[in-house]
Amino acid sequence: MKPGLAFIASLALALMASTAIAQTKETLTIDLPNDVATLDPHLQWNTDSYTVYRNIFDNLLTRDSGGKIVPQIATEWTYENDTTITFKIRADVTFQDGSKLTAEDVAFSINRIIDPALKSPQLSQFDQIATAEVVDPTTVKVTTKSPYPALLAQLVKLSIVPKAYVEKVGDQDFNLHPVGSGPYKMADWKKGIQTELEAYDNYWRGEPPFEKVVFRAVPDVSTRIADLKTGKADLIRDVPPDQASTIESDSTKLLTGETERVGYLYLNAEAGPTKDVRVRQAIAYAIDKQGLVDALLEGYGKPINVVGAEPIFGYTEAVEGYPYDPQKAAELVKAAGAEGATVEFLTSPSYPRALVEAIQQMVNEVGLNVTISSSDQATFLKRRQGDAENAGGMAFGAWSCACQDADGIIFPLFRSGSIWAKYKNEKYDALVDQARAILDEGKRKELYTQAYEVLREDVPGLGLYQVYALYGAAKNLQWTPSANEAMFVMDMSWQH
Amino acid sequence: MLNYTVQRLIQALVAIFGVLTIVFVIMHLSGDPTLLLVPQDASAEMIAELRHQLGFDRPIWVQYIDYLHGLTQLDFGMSVVQRVPALDIVASRLPYTIQLAAGALMVAIGIGIPSGIIMATMRGSAIERILAAIVVTGQSVPTFLSAILLIFIFGVTLRWLPTSGASELRAMIMPSIALGALSMSTFARMSRIAIIDELGKDYVRAGLARGLSLGQTVFRHVLRNASIPVITIAALEIGNLLAGAVIIETVFAWPGIGQLAIQSIQSRDFLVVQVIVLLISFVYVLTSVLADLVYVVVDPRIRLVR
Amino acid sequence: MTASAHAIRQRLRRVPPSVIVVSVLLAAIVLLAVFAPLVAPADPNNQTLLARLKAPGFTYRGVTYWVGTDDLGRDLLSRTVYGARVSLGVAALSVIVSTMVGVSLGMLAGWFRGWTETIIMRLVDIMMSIPAILLAVLTVAVLGPGFLKLVLVLGLTRWPRYTRVAYAQTLQVSNLPFIKASELAGAGAVRILFHHVLPNIAGPILIVATAEFGLMILMESGLSFLGLGIQPPSASWGSIMSVGRQYLERAWWIVAVPGVCLFLLVFSVNVLGDWLRDQLDPRSRSR
Repeated sequence: MKPGLAFIASLALALMASTAIAQTKETLTIDLPNDVATLDPHLQWNTDSYTVYRNIFDNLLTRDSGGKIVPQIATEWTYENDTTITFKIRADVTFQDGSKLTAEDVAFSINRIIDPALKSPQLSQFDQIATAEVVDPTTVKVTTKSPYPALLAQLVKLSIVPKAYVEKVGDQDFNLHPVGSGPYKMADWKKGIQTELEAYDNYWRGEPPFEKVVFRAVPDVSTRIADLKTGKADLIRDVPPDQASTIESDSTKLLTGETERVGYLYLNAEAGPTKDVRVRQAIAYAIDKQGLVDALLEGYGKPINVVGAEPIFGYTEAVEGYPYDPQKAAELVKAAGAEGATVEFLTSPSYPRALVEAIQQMVNEVGLNVTISSSDQATFLKRRQGDAENAGGMAFGAWSCACQDADGIIFPLFRSGSIWAKYKNEKYDALVDQARAILDEGKRKELYTQAYEVLREDVPGLGLYQVYALYGAAKNLQWTPSANEAMFVMDMSWQH
Repeated sequence: MLNYTVQRLIQALVAIFGVLTIVFVIMHLSGDPTLLLVPQDASAEMIAELRHQLGFDRPIWVQYIDYLHGLTQLDFGMSVVQRVPALDIVASRLPYTIQLAAGALMVAIGIGIPSGIIMATMRGSAIERILAAIVVTGQSVPTFLSAILLIFIFGVTLRWLPTSGASELRAMIMPSIALGALSMSTFARMSRIAIIDELGKDYVRAGLARGLSLGQTVFRHVLRNASIPVITIAALEIGNLLAGAVIIETVFAWPGIGQLAIQSIQSRDFLVVQVIVLLISFVYVLTSVLADLVYVVVDPRIRLVR
Repeated sequence: MTASAHAIRQRLRRVPPSVIVVSVLLAAIVLLAVFAPLVAPADPNNQTLLARLKAPGFTYRGVTYWVGTDDLGRDLLSRTVYGARVSLGVAALSVIVSTMVGVSLGMLAGWFRGWTETIIMRLVDIMMSIPAILLAVLTVAVLGPGFLKLVLVLGLTRWPRYTRVAYAQTLQVSNLPFIKASELAGAGAVRILFHHVLPNIAGPILIVATAEFGLMILMESGLSFLGLGIQPPSASWGSIMSVGRQYLERAWWIVAVPGVCLFLLVFSVNVLGDWLRDQLDPRSRSR
């Protein structure tokens, strides 16, 4: 290119860039991997969907930056007995259509999501609730089927929808034109492309920080990063750790959040060579967690000893982990007579391929023969959750219940009878069952420590590292990522 | 002629019905979406319950008849993932694919046909060799490779063009080029062959003998006659472009039906996949019927007995 | 017949230099694939996590990585050499599968006519009107990925093209006097089809097969690119590129090395295929 042309081009670019910045003052653009599936908050519960609709709706309860459950729509709550709890509801909240939010709407929301007729995929999160009743316009009574300590943690995820509006327009139309009480109202939903939200000026917590928020669907990581760098996006989610170093620049920065999500390895304790506990222990000794974190995560993660991370209730430092000891691992494999035994490593493109391959090599080095079976996510789940015989020998997973409680992790993963568990230990089952049914925090903590000790012995799964969520952001965007990976626009602002 | 048209249309209907059935069976063999829909801590009973509510526990032939019954009332069913009629979802994405295919077709025709004309009329020259090499190159670069190259050069390094999305018209440039490259080669070859065929005919020789220049002959007569096979190719290329859009749309995050198809297959959103496949095969079948008819109209000697 | 064979021999003597160049290139790639263990400087799957994403020419512990390393510190040269096996192997085998299926069905349809013809040719219509890449993605969802399954998926989605050609050719050939004669002499259908019909339609089939071979390589790399191809740690050129796409800025060589190889391979196949078509098909012959 001729120098003159280059000059004109760069001038034009500079002009375009400056107008772009002027515009972003009003609009915040966020790149997500996918578009929302449903905007009806009682239907789909996947990250891309709730990231958007939780800005349209308020939740009954929420968490503060320290992870503690605090009031949102409910101001206070009291346990009448082990299965009954009453919530006081705020009186100053209005929905975006101008109507007032009352106890009627709260009870309706709870009863709607547990109604089988809605066919809500989220039903299982709330199925411990028997019913919700209106006591007076600001009081709701919720009854659970049995004592259920995780109830409050689950209600953090419950969005409150307007009863009158939903009943008027019907379920299908409500999904397309949702109305909530949150800081933003839906302006324009281009399905599969982007969702545009507009500030709701009468929001009860104060004026929302941006006039407009646009969530765009950008499936490709490199494209998301390019968008950030070219100023097309102000915030991007799901930056892979080994791309983190490319994010920092004059106009962009990297935001990290130490999450409650754990990277773990599942080991099949009911079939194949891994049925032998020595083989499972050998695999535990064979994996260099620190090495994985340093090399593949480039330090964005923290090795852990249990299947759980610091932000969760029940996390313990008291349980010892397996140190990296390939020699001991090789001896255990030999002792079990499993040298050269084939272990199938199930995975799908949803999981980090490099990590899976690195673990494969580490385990191969101690005398096993690991073969990777990578299929699409639907097939992976069918096998992983199906019969133990067909569920592979090992698999990588990254688990978060967004409830910051050990119950949400090790109960579904290892309690016998759960779809994920390929493991049965009556002592373990008793411990986690008991911890699920009592409300005393000190006692629960102790039970989980014991449960983690059992898991250490039996290794039906192996905690690898605490996941750090990585975001790329425009330099002047102010926001602190949270442990449960929620993205509330209310918490963000432009720096001045 | 009428007989032939009717016969072709019946064949087309049979083909579309077959496509529908084959895709239905393959999709159902691949499992159902229930596991992808439930939260990770769902119990086996909850999964079974949702599967029942969604109707995936019924025998496949019952689901098939149910689906066909819906189709007779022009009901293409609901997306289980988005809870919106499948037809609406596809309809909202279709304009983007049409836009992209049109852009690609412009690239393909705009570069391909002039190249073909030049190659045919300047045979043996250095220009022909160079163009021939370019045509083969266009045919040999995987679409995703050219996509990556374009993004890297014009999007990331030079920052001239947006790297993804469909928010502005400029965003169309790179995907159109990447998608059009392959068709460009087809057009160049086909127009070259068609023109060479025409050039060998008596009327051209006669014209040249009467003292018309080659350029005049080509522009007055040859191009018109040679355009017929090229038009039919254009019709068939539309089907190919729709298929090529699958990868290009994924790389460029272009929100058309190609990207939707891949996402819907992966999320086992059966009815959305059905609508897309139905649509693409409809376009394909329709254009090939039209192409056949054009042939018959233009050249009555051709009698297709297929 | 002999006259045209003579003409072909005549023309073969005037092979253009470009065809010679690509033939040598193609032969080199095939040899590379066949003798991969001898050519590759290292084990293609051996990881060195401390030598990730290193540029071409990087030396670590006395090992030089001539074209750099990938995201697990594996030698990219060795992976590319072994990747040639997968890319070529899948393409070659799936072309064989689809040729066998397609040609047999086409000959049957053209010979027996009637119901056989109707069923087969309608099936061809159906298969042709589903975009091949979508059909492949769908089938992978059922069969699962892996080398042999990939061959099966590609082979079973691409046969209709051969069927159309074989069918049309069989219709023409079956009216030739010597075939009529051997039918009257009591030869069975299978015998006639394989001994008399097949040799006479081999030319056009060969043209389709070369064009398809290039397409198969692209299809395989496309599927691998979508993450539906070969199982890791094995790699094809497409899957190496799909990994490298994330590292375009940090490690351009991961895409560039297999990308250039893939381009050269398909380019060679296409040039060779074009030339072959000019030789065999008098209609498109132009020089």
